Amino acid sequence: MNLLEINSLSVAFGSTEKPFHAVDGLDLTVRQGEIVGIVGESGSGKSVTMMAMMGLLDGQGRITAERLQFDGKDLLTLGARERRRIVGKDISMIFQDPMTALNPSFTVGYQIMEVLREHLGLKGSALRQRALELMEMVEIPAAASRLDAYPHQLSGGMSQRVAIAMAIACRPKLLIADEPTTALDVTIQAQIMDLLVSLQQSQNMSLILITHDLAVISEIAQRVAVMYAGQVVELSRVPDIFLSPAHPYTEALLASIPEHSKGARRLSTLPGIVPGHHDRPVGCLLSPRCPYVQDSCRTVRPELTTTSAGAVRCHFPLSGKEA
Amino acid sequence: MFAFIFRRFGLLIPTFIGITLLTFSLIHMIPGDPIEVMVGERNLDPVMHAQAMHRLGLDKPLYAQYFDYIGQLLNGNLGESIKTREPVLKEFLTLFPATLELALSAMLFAAFFGLLAGVIAAIRRGKATDHSVMGLALTGFSMPIFWWGLILIMVFSNYLHWTPVSGRVDLAFDIPPRTGFMLIDSWLIERADPANFSGAFIDALRHLILPTIVLGTIPLAVIARMTRSSMLEVLKEDYVRTARAKGLSPFKVIFVHTLRNALIPVLTVIGLQIGTLMGGAVLTETIFSWPGIGKWLIDAIGSRDYPVIQSGLLMVATLVIVVNFAVDILYGVVNPRIRHAK
Amino acid sequence: MSLQKQTVVPDADAPVATYPSPVKEFWQAFSQNKGAVAGLVFMLVVVFAAIFAPLVAPYSPIEQYHDHLLTPPAWCEGGSRAFLLGTDEAGRDLLSRLIYGARMSLLIGLSSVVVALIPGVILGLLAAFFPRMIGGSIMRLMDVLMALPSLLLAVAIVAILGPGFINSIIAIAVVGLPAYVRLTRASAMSELNRDYVTASRVCGAGLLRLMFITVLPNCMAPLIVHATMSFSSAILEASALGFLGLGVQPPTPEWGTMLASARDYIERAWWVVSLPGLTILLAVLSINLMGDGLRDALDPKLKRIA
Repeated sequence: MNLLEINSLSVAFGSTEKPFHAVDGLDLTVRQGEIVGIVGESGSGKSVTMMAMMGLLDGQGRITAERLQFDGKDLLTLGARERRRIVGKDISMIFQDPMTALNPSFTVGYQIMEVLREHLGLKGSALRQRALELMEMVEIPAAASRLDAYPHQLSGGMSQRVAIAMAIACRPKLLIADEPTTALDVTIQAQIMDLLVSLQQSQNMSLILITHDLAVISEIAQRVAVMYAGQVVELSRVPDIFLSPAHPYTEALLASIPEHSKGARRLSTLPGIVPGHHDRPVGCLLSPRCPYVQDSCRTVRPELTTTSAGAVRCHFPLSGKEA
Repeated sequence: MFAFIFRRFGLLIPTFIGITLLTFSLIHMIPGDPIEVMVGERNLDPVMHAQAMHRLGLDKPLYAQYFDYIGQLLNGNLGESIKTREPVLKEFLTLFPATLELALSAMLFAAFFGLLAGVIAAIRRGKATDHSVMGLALTGFSMPIFWWGLILIMVFSNYLHWTPVSGRVDLAFDIPPRTGFMLIDSWLIERADPANFSGAFIDALRHLILPTIVLGTIPLAVIARMTRSSMLEVLKEDYVRTARAKGLSPFKVIFVHTLRNALIPVLTVIGLQIGTLMGGAVLTETIFSWPGIGKWLIDAIGSRDYPVIQSGLLMVATLVIVVNFAVDILYGVVNPRIRHAK
Repeated sequence: MSLQKQTVVPDADAPVATYPSPVKEFWQAFSQNKGAVAGLVFMLVVVFAAIFAPLVAPYSPIEQYHDHLLTPPAWCEGGSRAFLLGTDEAGRDLLSRLIYGARMSLLIGLSSVVVALIPGVILGLLAAFFPRMIGGSIMRLMDVLMALPSLLLAVAIVAILGPGFINSIIAIAVVGLPAYVRLTRASAMSELNRDYVTASRVCGAGLLRLMFITVLPNCMAPLIVHATMSFSSAILEASALGFLGLGVQPPTPEWGTMLASARDYIERAWWVVSLPGLTILLAVLSINLMGDGLRDALDPKLKRIA
């Protein structure tokens, strides 16, 4: 059964006459207990999608969708108050930079206990006890003394553990991790990732992992969505996408992983950058950068079409033999 | 924390020495003969002139005069007024409570309404409320306050007769100074002697209203603008997003997670407004005949009472430095990142 | 593996992405701010009136019409169409005095900005390039000037130098100096750490070139905004000096000076009290509106407010 169902979600910024679609007709489903990866370059709309779903865009982006359903509830029609009852409790999120994600003016303990008080109504010693328990669950050493520490007294890895403790405090059904290790030291990255996966299994959560690290996805995710310029360009199961990418962009992403280019003398790169506000092409958004580009690609924008493994948004999907 | 205070304190000393140099050289920059300027007469008898030069130490070299000046300051001798023959320090201390009372009242007024306006504008960003609050704030910021005072007097005192025109309290009440704060003094005497002083407190309060508004207008506008921009800045912070991702209500997000951090720069601005306030006091006190430091200095300039100008400026500058120092320390208390810095 | 792959070459026929020019982008951002445009329009009118005062003003500003003392404005009872905004206690035409007064206020404001800006920028750059001895002493000196409330310092300087037009300019410029020094120093310091400065230095650029050609242009945005804002506060300070009797001396028309004696007419002639002050308020407000617009257009990150 699908815990999360997103159909044709769009987020537009800027003026109504000349809107900029940061997310453009996005489809995504997440099943109970599943890990789904979302990959793509910076600015491809990964984070905006999740923020829009949680209602964190703060009225700046205009959100439209055919369907935005979580756990049987329609998030589109839900009032702000009801949505807040879900957000932070059943869906929670951890962010990229733990050093700025915690409020510098409050102790770590206060910030964890705040969630428990808000959603579970815990008080007094039970509250403190549960906070301590959570700190221990995320493997923070000397948890009791760290409850009264301020965020700036903790390292990045410790802060991210605190952020995770806050996110899992109310046993959420879905945890969204937005590049949870990007801002951390390489040695800490693996620890945090292991922690996330073990918590996901012990709590039977669904996990959406936003990253641009394909290696991590290949290790832990069951399915993956590849995003480019606000659109999902390919959706597939995990071993398949690595074995036979259907979209040229996916292929290019894979080719840029060092492990995949053994033997080649130079690491493969995709020339150019993700189109911004002023230079979106008329046709396929990848057309200016695509090595297989045809004339029709420059004029007609492709739709997302279902394939045996998932879905792909390309006029000429790769057959998969050559990878 | 103590190291932090100590370091900040160390920075004060050169500034203070600079101030004494400034006030010292002030007297020497006056065009014309210093004795004639001080006495206010021309063509003095040369013998008397020389005596006066010697008595005032003006025949010594400049650096020696400066050290004399510092020595006197350290002994608490700030000179005496040419006009009243009173020690300047004594006059300052008598008049200072009036200015302090007005300044505190104006600051409370400005901080309360400024914070309120700034928070409201930030929450309603881009809406009509925001535009009108910020439009009013910019108008307040652009206000020639001496004119603002005149207009308020014209409307509320002369036309509506709601408030008195000038002074600290009605002349019918002869209130003996105890604390120097008219609100407290009038309240005390009304309690002690209700027969003769009934209504004294309310009267003192009514005298305070217009000067408070006039003096508080520009700080109010500055605080409102600063609060708004600081709030908007903090609202963009990741930890506010975290707070919202926790499912907290907008009220909690604003007042618990945003305002506290947004207050830090606002506090600095409030502290820096003390200077503006002392400058504004010059105008406000002149308009409302408020017997404080500002009016005293302007009167001294009018009557060329140089010892008063010199030492009065020194006292005001010292006051501003001390307040700014206090704000720095307070800043450290509010902001844990600074408090814990080595 | 990549037989069918083509190399991507820039295609001459492909639509070239166009980015708006900086000037156009600036004007677009500025003109979106309706307040800023309104301020600009009002200031253009004031500047026009000030420059062509002899042509625009109906009368001489110091001519006294003794038959028309304290005539109310034309639209009021007892008003005369000859004196559109009424006359003052000496029978002088208020409108003409306000128009000629604009000359004084704008001139004092503009001159004091220039007189403060140039040494302020030079001292600020020096303080940034030589942060130790020279910079330290410059900044301590500025701390001293900052410790005195601005109006009080201006009053003190005028009290020493004597009242008048030139001395007002000097006093207001001295008061404004520390802000320019601090602002220039702060932005120059942050630019000095950038790679392009190092690059220029490595290329053998001399000190003056580094200061004025490499670094200074990149500090311009906050300086322009601050100059605008300090223009308005200079007008305010000049009028405050005038009000205290320490500025431009009567009978020369100056907005603040016009208000100095207005207090006596509070009960009898509201126009004498309100119109000069309203003019100051509108002029200062317009400049500040423009300043806000400039700041938003030039430097969205700039948060200074005073």
